[in-house]
Amino acid sequence: MECNQKIVIGERILTREDLYREEEELRRERARLSFEEKIKILVGLQKLAYSWGKKGDVIIWKI
Amino acid sequence: MKGALKVFNELKREGLIKDYAIGGAIAALKWTEPFFTQDLDIFIILEKPTDGSKLIVLTPIYEYLKSKGYEWKGHWIVIDGVPVDIFPADPLEREAVEGAEETEYEGVRTKVITPEYLIALFLRTGRKKDRIKIDLLLEQSRIDSKKLEKILSKYQLSEKFRIFKEKHDGV
Repeated sequence: MECNQKIVIGERILTREDLYREEEELRRERARLSFEEKIKILVGLQKLAYSWGKKGDVIIWKI
Repeated sequence: MKGALKVFNELKREGLIKDYAIGGAIAALKWTEPFFTQDLDIFIILEKPTDGSKLIVLTPIYEYLKSKGYEWKGHWIVIDGVPVDIFPADPLEREAVEGAEETEYEGVRTKVITPEYLIALFLRTGRKKDRIKIDLLLEQSRIDSKKLEKILSKYQLSEKFRIFKEKHDGV
């Protein structure tokens, strides 16, 4: 039953497999970003860990 | 990070190190999607060979960095807000540094260890977080399988990799 489930996003109707496939494609796209872009994302993650994760010892890089 | 790379280029120019390359998580991140990490691992080749030596003296480098006003925070040296871990290269790391890819980061020339050597290095340390990075590299970067096999065989890591793949692929 669950396997046949469809997910509607706007005008698109997707299966769970389609979603997983798109997620994988997105991850591969992110892997192709420039080194500089990735470091910017990393700093964002450090900020997130510092505030949301309440990890006061996290060092947020200055770039 | 640009500031830290400039400092290592300076160490090279000053003759305090022969060469260096970015390793660890930041190197992996060059080849995969971004993920959280805190420190910048730099593998250095010293001017004088250290093979067989029981004591590797990094004092001149530390003194130089200290004289430039960089502070130590535990095992890290913080260069322009980036905590850096400095590793004097052993034979595998030395080869990884020598074969590292030359690149630029915001206009600063640097070298980054390639996926094949990173896999070997992560396999050797073998912590959970290293295994996750091997997974990412295998999935998202272009691996030269022959080159990888050669490295793994040379450093007696083939069996470890076979076990890793067995667990990872479930075969």
